[in-house]
Amino acid sequence: MRFATPRETVPLLLVAAIAAILPLLGSDYYLGVGFALFGWIALAQSWTIVSGLAGYISLGHVVFAGIGGYVLVLTWGAVPVWAGAVLGALAAGLFALLVGLPVLRVRGPYFVILTFGLAEFAKYVVINIENALGRFGRLILGGPPVETLYWAMAAAALAGTLAVIVTRRVRLGAGLAAVREDELAAETIGVPTVRFKLLAFALSAVLPGFVGALFVLRTGYFEPAQAFDPVISFTIVTMAIIGGSEDARGPVFGALFLVVLSELLWSNFPQVYMIILGALLIGFVLFAPNGVAGLLDRRRPSGGARAAA
Amino acid sequence: MKKFVGALAASALAAAAWAAPVQAAEVRIGYSIAKTGLFAPAAPSQINAYNLWAEQVNARGGLDLGGKEKRKIELIQYDDQSNPGNAVKIYEKLITQDKVDLLLSPWGTPHHFAIASVLERHKFPMIGSTASSVQLRNMKPGNIWFTTAAVADKLATAMVGLLQSAGVKSVAILTNQLPFGQENKKFLMPALKAAGIEVLVDADYPPNIKDMTAILVKVKAAKPDGVIGLAYPGDSILYINKAREVGIAAKFQYLLVGPAIGFFRGMFKGAADGIVTLGHWSPHGDDARSKAFYAAYKKKFKQEPDYLDSVEAWVSVEILEQAVAKAGLDKDKLRQAISTGTFDTIIGKVRFDGVQNAVTPTGFLQIQKGELHVVWPKDRQTAPLAPKTGWK
Repeated sequence: MRFATPRETVPLLLVAAIAAILPLLGSDYYLGVGFALFGWIALAQSWTIVSGLAGYISLGHVVFAGIGGYVLVLTWGAVPVWAGAVLGALAAGLFALLVGLPVLRVRGPYFVILTFGLAEFAKYVVINIENALGRFGRLILGGPPVETLYWAMAAAALAGTLAVIVTRRVRLGAGLAAVREDELAAETIGVPTVRFKLLAFALSAVLPGFVGALFVLRTGYFEPAQAFDPVISFTIVTMAIIGGSEDARGPVFGALFLVVLSELLWSNFPQVYMIILGALLIGFVLFAPNGVAGLLDRRRPSGGARAAA
Repeated sequence: MKKFVGALAASALAAAAWAAPVQAAEVRIGYSIAKTGLFAPAAPSQINAYNLWAEQVNARGGLDLGGKEKRKIELIQYDDQSNPGNAVKIYEKLITQDKVDLLLSPWGTPHHFAIASVLERHKFPMIGSTASSVQLRNMKPGNIWFTTAAVADKLATAMVGLLQSAGVKSVAILTNQLPFGQENKKFLMPALKAAGIEVLVDADYPPNIKDMTAILVKVKAAKPDGVIGLAYPGDSILYINKAREVGIAAKFQYLLVGPAIGFFRGMFKGAADGIVTLGHWSPHGDDARSKAFYAAYKKKFKQEPDYLDSVEAWVSVEILEQAVAKAGLDKDKLRQAISTGTFDTIIGKVRFDGVQNAVTPTGFLQIQKGELHVVWPKDRQTAPLAPKTGWK
């Protein structure tokens, strides 16, 4: 077993350090910010498994979070809260396995559109089920307090980060990289592309299912249009772009950058923060196309070169 | 230089401390609202009401705190991007970081529900406004109250009463798939059946519907006496456009949410005449409070208030002001004052039973010659219900 490299330890330690420090500030507000940050890290890491490693860009990752949230409200009261969240994660994984085979047959822009459409489709299916059941938004009362949610989400962020690190190390990661570079060639040299892609897709769905369940617990209210909000998918991709690497650092940097920046902006410039945020994002893409990770690598060319090799 | 700045700051602090008894700090009142995102079009109605209130209170010398002193109001507003999760975070920030003295409510039912647990945890009382659902009755009373009189089950009963008084024997029901529309339909269907009113068309449509022609052609063919559109603002506009085109001739036509917003009538001129909508307030009666609010709003914003959202928001601050005048800023006293008091508002007396408005009856408005009148309940009418006659 190789020793852990900086690009593996840095994101893990960063997540762990933030998780340890935020509660010391002694305010619900910081726990809330941390909850959101870890949620995004977990989502972006999961997304990286299929979209970063295998190069299949998903624009519909919210579907897994939505399913997780929906399973949680369906099982609310019937099973313990934690079991509902775990069931949500499993349901999301199962859904990925079921739709994975047909969906992963298409590549490139077609895959992007298909995943987006799939998420919208799932949203309307859930809307129709809820309406047929005569439910109109489900209120969940007496969920866990913000501290509990915070630690659960921190665990999810760590798990996601670890999942990317481990996946990159094992055969699966090498196979996915081969798929990303040239799927036909990979298949020719004996990479079980279908199995690997399906496995990656399911892996990338489980954690978002869990995160989606926690999101619902946080607001205490489930409404399909919000649980399946496509903006969540877009934000994941934005964070990945800003993070700018397909190892575990990218999602952590990207989520950290976007969450901290938007938090600072909206709390200090509540009237114009969207404008500033937009300008900064455009500037970022123009002047730092390789994202935060790219900026850091440029500072330490030796580390970057070694990593790239 | 650093030393100089430090000395300056110290002397400024000292001066402030000395001046404090003379000019007390402002009362900081915070809220979050959907300035961007899906609900952004609805938010100005509520923001305007809040701003108008703060301006008027400050012009009167400030907010009366338990009869002891008056302090000016400073409003602190954040954008929740139409996301209830953000609202949760913002109210936590308002309470724990900004340390506001009072809270106003955000826009929309999901946002009210989402922040209820934050209010409960910090024992911070807040009066709700633009939220309605039968589920609100499941909320724990004590730190949140709902001013609405438009809860779906009561609406269904009132609607049947209105339909019977108008002699409507058959209806078509068109329902937006968002929760409020669905909730209304769920209670309306059995109520119609019990009253012997026949449902000739029953169609659901997605929230972002772009074309209603197919549904409306079906409605036209069925020739119902009434059309009940359980719609939101966007599809209310779509309905008027398409119903006029198709030529829906029903004498009773209802749209749930939309026609009460100021721009709606301006947009359609006479074509919107006769449309019935949800609401229980009108400035066209003889209530002086309502007339003053209406005139001030129109003067400041050069448009009419939203008869639903601006009014609910205004009622919530009227109640808050009166409760604070009685109890001051102490949270326990304030909670007590809101829970037990009876308040004068532009929708009449309001008293809470648990989390609910226990007084205001469910009502309906109708557009008549470009003005919105209360047509139901009968004892609050500012004009009797008139049949819709064509699409001028």
